Amino acid sequence: MIDLDEHVDLERGVMSRKVFVDDDIYRLELERIFSRSWLFLAHESQLPKSGSFVSTYMGEDPVIVVRRSDGSIGAVLNSCRHRGMKVCRADVGTTRAFRCSYHGWTYGLDGDLVSVPNMAEGYRNELDMSRWGLLRVPRVESYKGLIFGTWDAEAQPVEEALGDITFLLDTFLDRRPGGTEVIGGVQKWVMGGNWKLAAEQFASDMYHSFLLHASAWQALAPEGADLSEMVFPSVGSQMTSQGSGGGWFHDPTGAGSAVLGPVLAADFTDPAVWERLGEVKAGGPIGCHATVFPNFSFLGAFRVLRVWHPRGPHEMEVWSWTLVDKDQSPEIKDAWRRFASMTFGPTGTFEQDDGEIWTDLQRVSRGHIAQTVDLNYQMGIGHEVTDHPDYPGRINHVYSDNAARGFYERWLELMKTPLRPGQRGNATARAGQEVTR
Amino acid sequence: MNTIPHAAMDPALQLEVEQFLYAEAELLDARGFREWLGLLTEDVRYWMPTRANRSIREYALEVAGPGEMAHYDDDLGSLTTRVRRIESNQAWSEDPPSRTRRFVTNVRIKPDGSELAVRSSLLVYQHRLEREVNVFAAGRQDVLRRTHDGLRIASRKVLLDQTVVLANNISVFF
Repeated sequence: MIDLDEHVDLERGVMSRKVFVDDDIYRLELERIFSRSWLFLAHESQLPKSGSFVSTYMGEDPVIVVRRSDGSIGAVLNSCRHRGMKVCRADVGTTRAFRCSYHGWTYGLDGDLVSVPNMAEGYRNELDMSRWGLLRVPRVESYKGLIFGTWDAEAQPVEEALGDITFLLDTFLDRRPGGTEVIGGVQKWVMGGNWKLAAEQFASDMYHSFLLHASAWQALAPEGADLSEMVFPSVGSQMTSQGSGGGWFHDPTGAGSAVLGPVLAADFTDPAVWERLGEVKAGGPIGCHATVFPNFSFLGAFRVLRVWHPRGPHEMEVWSWTLVDKDQSPEIKDAWRRFASMTFGPTGTFEQDDGEIWTDLQRVSRGHIAQTVDLNYQMGIGHEVTDHPDYPGRINHVYSDNAARGFYERWLELMKTPLRPGQRGNATARAGQEVTR
Repeated sequence: MNTIPHAAMDPALQLEVEQFLYAEAELLDARGFREWLGLLTEDVRYWMPTRANRSIREYALEVAGPGEMAHYDDDLGSLTTRVRRIESNQAWSEDPPSRTRRFVTNVRIKPDGSELAVRSSLLVYQHRLEREVNVFAAGRQDVLRRTHDGLRIASRKVLLDQTVVLANNISVFF
């Protein structure tokens, strides 16, 4: 087994890029990170009525998230209990049941096995159908419209597990009394980089924004603006807690709102929102970039949320939505939708360049010698405070690696802790697990 | 014997429209983005909706609708912004620049008053850096308008034939 401490030294703030390329580390992540963390599944607005479903992934495991007959939301492993075929091959839709296209085993919305062809002749009516339902995700809970699931039946409730990051999430999800909804449709694309590159960047890295995204800041600046006069903010904070984290500038109406344009800037800084959130949150955190550990991220000022699905050490699949306040007018919602695809997503004037960096960075990391050269995660090290008067968690300057270090601290802690014996997903104890759901 | 509907085309019109689309493709392949903007009308709508895998029963919903997520949902202003970005010489997704080759086929024309409804198939081959290869196949539904300066694109809907875009970004126009 690989010695993780040899590759990650967060006290010194150095790390080997081995963590981005190693197959054994990746397999261990699927077990120890993805099979016990709370993972984002969907937004409640994607499941408007009984029978509504969306297909997604928890790590590399396909799951179906479904609104059941009683209105509750559940999630099941998208794999027939007979031979393992996917029972749902649509990305989204409405159905009464999930029928496997291989032999026809059919499951109800709650995952119960309801029909098996040739039950009498083939199985002699001896198959105990109650034991062969789709594997249920044992815990599915919502936080302000976001649905999360975990394979750990004994996990703490999602709100507790989210912890301090709700401070930032609330600036995104709770701006207006009616809550939020996602615009229909999803942008999906693949990037040739390890999933952690994106997750750590959204948690911690505002440092890259003004160089990597210089072209977007320039192009989106108002026509005729004197770019030499464009001053990028340098005052801001960054928090980390339980692996999650985010950063923000203290003046959210600065460079950010110049690119929003007058209509969206007015919505972003609406006094009613300001009052609801309070001075502290509205005076910075509202414009945050953030990651909810391990692979869910959002951008407050761009109304973008996304998941970085792991696809082997060398690739991630990005799923991205636009989130709007339900109470907002259709015109403003539509303006946010268009702004989101103008800035983020595969064609995004900002995000095109992230895809470029992560792909090249990943390729360099394959090098044997490159893997012996440590990466620097030292920015701001030793200057953290844990008793900030306004902000929860561990706080540092917006330009720091505070939340990246926090992300890998949590990552390391989970990676070094085996799953409980008998816990679903515990690879070393699989033989002892029951066959039932 | 059944026949599929296909009107006999005016050969001159067919040739004119095809030459227009070929010239446009050549311009984009040659990175003439600013000139390309000149082929669009002031009120152009340039739209590439997302798509999703749907069961055959719900297949009508496969393409995202007008108010739903799109990869491009642009007007002349936002397309100009995208071109300004490339011209900034700091747009790393196009620096070093990509090599692209556009193939336009299956051009079908339906005159509609002073405008032409034109469908075409487009294949864009993109190679950049050492090993980055993207192949985008798409159907296009254009509205071409006759102006004093010749044909101009008044509307373009691009149906990319991928649900998960198999590229780390889309830095090309269609």
